[in-house]
Amino acid sequence: MTHTQKRIRTWATGLAAVMSLSLVAACAGGSNGEDVNTGNTGAGSTTTSGAQGGNGGAAEAPFEITMMATQHAAEVPDDLIPGMIEEKTNTKLSIQWVPSGSYQEKLNAAFATGSLPMAVSATNTDFAKEAIRNDQFWEIGPLLAEYENLSNLNPDVLQNTAVDGKIYSLYMERPLSRQGVIYRKDWADNLGLEAPQTTEDLYEMIRAFTEDDPDQNGQDDTIGLTDRSDLIYGAFKTVSSYFGTPNYWYIDEGDQFKPEFMHEAFKDTLDYLHDIHSKGYMNQDFPVTSKTDQIDLLVNGKAGVYIGSMPDVLTLSNQLADMNPDAELTVQNGIKGPRGRGVWAIPGYGSIVLFPKSAVKSEEDLHKILAFYDQLMTAENANLLTWGVEGEHYEIKDGLANKTVDQVTDNTIVKPNNAWGIGGPDTIDGMLKGYFELPARALAEELVEANNSMLIHDPSAPLDSPTYIERGQALQQIITDATYQYVLGDLDAAGFQKAIDRWKSEGGDKIMQEYTEAYQAQQ
Amino acid sequence: MNSTAPASGRGAAPAAPTRRSSERLRRIVKNRYLYIMILPGALFFLLFKYVPMWGLVISFQNYQPYLGISGSDWVGLQHFERLFAEPTFWMIFRNTLVLFALNLVFFFPVPILLALMLNEVRQLMFKRIVQTIVYIPHFMSWVIIVSISFVMLTLDGGIVNELLVFFGLEKINFLLSNSWFRPMYIAQVIWREAGWGTIVYLAAIAAVDPQLYEAARMDGAGRTRQVWHVTLPAIRSVIVLLLILKIGDVLELGFEHVYLLLNAMNREVAEIFDTYVYTAGLKNGQFSYSTAVGFFKSFVGLIMIMVANWLAKTFGEEGIY
Amino acid sequence: MVEDKTWGSRLFSGVNLTLLAIIALVTLLPFVHVLAGSLTTAAEMSSKSFILFPTVISFDAYTYIFSTDMVLRAMLVSIGVTAGGTLISMCLSVLMAYGLARRDLDGRRTIMFLVVFTMLFNGGMIPTFLVVKELGLIDNYLALILPTAINAFNLIILRSFFQNLPEGLEESAKIDGCNDFGILLRIVLPLSMPVLATISLFYAVTYWNTYMHAILYLNDAQMYPMQVVLRQIVILATGMSNESGAFAADYIPPPEQTIKMAVIVVATVPILIVYPFLQKYFAKGALVGSIKG
Repeated sequence: MTHTQKRIRTWATGLAAVMSLSLVAACAGGSNGEDVNTGNTGAGSTTTSGAQGGNGGAAEAPFEITMMATQHAAEVPDDLIPGMIEEKTNTKLSIQWVPSGSYQEKLNAAFATGSLPMAVSATNTDFAKEAIRNDQFWEIGPLLAEYENLSNLNPDVLQNTAVDGKIYSLYMERPLSRQGVIYRKDWADNLGLEAPQTTEDLYEMIRAFTEDDPDQNGQDDTIGLTDRSDLIYGAFKTVSSYFGTPNYWYIDEGDQFKPEFMHEAFKDTLDYLHDIHSKGYMNQDFPVTSKTDQIDLLVNGKAGVYIGSMPDVLTLSNQLADMNPDAELTVQNGIKGPRGRGVWAIPGYGSIVLFPKSAVKSEEDLHKILAFYDQLMTAENANLLTWGVEGEHYEIKDGLANKTVDQVTDNTIVKPNNAWGIGGPDTIDGMLKGYFELPARALAEELVEANNSMLIHDPSAPLDSPTYIERGQALQQIITDATYQYVLGDLDAAGFQKAIDRWKSEGGDKIMQEYTEAYQAQQ
Repeated sequence: MNSTAPASGRGAAPAAPTRRSSERLRRIVKNRYLYIMILPGALFFLLFKYVPMWGLVISFQNYQPYLGISGSDWVGLQHFERLFAEPTFWMIFRNTLVLFALNLVFFFPVPILLALMLNEVRQLMFKRIVQTIVYIPHFMSWVIIVSISFVMLTLDGGIVNELLVFFGLEKINFLLSNSWFRPMYIAQVIWREAGWGTIVYLAAIAAVDPQLYEAARMDGAGRTRQVWHVTLPAIRSVIVLLLILKIGDVLELGFEHVYLLLNAMNREVAEIFDTYVYTAGLKNGQFSYSTAVGFFKSFVGLIMIMVANWLAKTFGEEGIY
Repeated sequence: MVEDKTWGSRLFSGVNLTLLAIIALVTLLPFVHVLAGSLTTAAEMSSKSFILFPTVISFDAYTYIFSTDMVLRAMLVSIGVTAGGTLISMCLSVLMAYGLARRDLDGRRTIMFLVVFTMLFNGGMIPTFLVVKELGLIDNYLALILPTAINAFNLIILRSFFQNLPEGLEESAKIDGCNDFGILLRIVLPLSMPVLATISLFYAVTYWNTYMHAILYLNDAQMYPMQVVLRQIVILATGMSNESGAFAADYIPPPEQTIKMAVIVVATVPILIVYPFLQKYFAKGALVGSIKG
């Protein structure tokens, strides 16, 4: 620290000297020079460092752990709860908070310049796959069994985070599928519609919400579905899984890997949504609609069906209540398509934690860090990270955690710490789930659970394709564009097939082949 | 003395003691204070611009961050070959050039015109207020500008389309069309940047000697002729300067702006190098390929700026170097 | 001139004023929209019932953003960085630009070319990061200033203005016994107020908008300037954040649109105020005339 400051000071004085020298020189004759500002570099002299300060003191000096975590709200996180964790685990935590909107850039820069901290959180291993293969990160798979709580982590999920079958990271749990349908219960009641059970029911609801005046104001001013420019977390992927479309990839009868869009169910989805769009049952501009504008259509009483993450029903209900106190939203899932029920699943983790060898120097240190994370997975600590302090930030109601804080406190003190815990209710015995006043939100929680019985997994999650890493994104763009164009009616089946052919010839064939080989090798 | 001025080293090389070189030496000694003035800036460029420039070599490598530049494999021109072999390369190149041309023709003159108009305002308060207002949009991020445009232009209740319907016309799909992308892009650029662009011109106009106007009026020149014969010539060198710099920016069209407007229905005309690199490379940390595309863009820019500068000098202008 | 009352001149003025008024109204639109949005309720905002004038007025959004010291602290950082940065940048740029403006300087073309070259080619984020790191500037506000201390574009403009000053002025000053620093300080700078005001404004705006460098070079969230806060709120409120982000409990609902608008207003107004203060330096030809006369 002092060394750094010294260097800064040397540099700053040097700069100041050069500038004042140049100004002082001024005129040879007549020195009535108005005193122009000398180079003042004071702007930067207040260096507030995040933590550090190695004052150990007691016999057992706290172990210092540096980490990088995502800051999901705009508020700067408070260190109340990290401080409590420090005490319980005898550690000294130094957390770099990086705003979610720029996390990727910071991660890439820190990685490329060798300045990663000891524990790095990331959404997946893609940013460092080659480095992981080349032994730049600690492999922790074999060590997990030594730890009481870490050994509870789900081996399937761990496998999904693996690189070449080896496990390098801990993960934070996330429900496998939150996807479902949110719709206006009061509109459905007005029209005598039941909760949709099948894709036909869903279609009928979307049609009726458009054509049958669901708000009974005598005007043709409503549409059924509101959607946005997102084929994954918007309606498309979820509807496609109702039709039985695979989750990104599938393995056909001949043990060959194929992308979802070669599957018949994908084409059924295209036709289904094209029909809805062409008849005016959904917002016509959905390929350029932002999430905010999509939500606004719903809360303004212009649209009645929202397909996406079911827990969103809480925020949506609150916003809707502001506009129209009589409106009511509810959720539904398990929509049955021609090929049965299904819903796509994520690989079971929301983020992972990696341990770079550049920062974690010895195996001894690695063990200390793992011991720390092991402690984070006790019910007590996990609840502290997730819900805050009992009695202060939440209370227990019916065995569930009921938040009692206002939004600012929540965003400042409690929620930031969600971002650096690991595991979750499925792997931590005694970790509290949330209590929700709103019945639709509580129902959403149940339905997220129920989704687990009909999951469609992505078979490529634990596999690798070099061509996919190099070209995958650009190739996917071809299909994404074609999908929008088909739904909007700018492309017919032959045109879509052409896009698939282009995808294949520009590298898709190679990706299929590489995945197939990787898959067969792992069998 | 001459050792402190990096770029003067060449001039001060110990050549044969001819008259010319000793004259030059005397000149350099005479201008020693000027070199001292340049020194801090030169150090800045050296330290923060030229030292990091070694980073460009990764466009000729298969750069792996953990190996660093010294450890990564050399692959020669492979990334450039990949760029030129992209099936969409020519489409992207054409889109970029078209947008650049539109920028030059429709945007570049607007701030000049606006500055001239402001300069003709005699009501000081009015002038100051308008001046301040037109520069505000520059501070609204593209996200805001694009989302306001969306609210006005959407098919789903946007005010423009509602008006069209009201007058019995067909709705126009501004946001999802090939043909409306370019006008929309350029209109938004003008909207956001025109007022901001006037500032340099206003500074140049402020430096015009009032006696010149006096003289022109004596010759019986009306107001439009004064603008034409006094104001415009006075700011000509600034116009030329900004034009050259603009031409050097040929492939820089504002990533964020274009990216926000880009969608499946207008990609054919809207995809530019930056948006392409973003989807194709950066998301997966393909540092080498992204750098190679950047290198290509810089190279084109350099050629353009050199040609523009040469042309300017040929026509008797100062040029930038 | 002010007394010019010919018919043609009046028509000219009338058309000119009308056009400018229309332009001003059109360019004011987005800001008024944002301002109006910040002063209403979330429900009014999402009902899209207005673009410019809300029917319900509410200060909730401002109450919310000032309920913690987040915005105030970030604002102070931004003001500090902007003031300090502009000062450093102006010193360095003016000195260098003046040096290069003198036509009898050997090597000026080469140096100018090298400057222009940096406008086109740059090493990219990572090598620059390494330089900053080697200088020990990580977690120091100087890291937001020094790497962008001179903007080549601004330097070129400054130099061009200095070059266009009448050369005779310098000669006469030399005879009075001034060295080059004296000439710059006593003759050139007073004559160049319009361009100095312009370039200061350009630098100030750049520093005010500093965003990426703050993310890269500062590891302490307490040190972040206003733009980081602004950007994060805009991204969150537009729903553009990555949805696969994980929360064990529940995710954070996006901030209300009104809050987004209020933060934009708060982050924009301070820098908007700078311009009117600089406008007096644009008074036409006042300085050249006074020196000559």
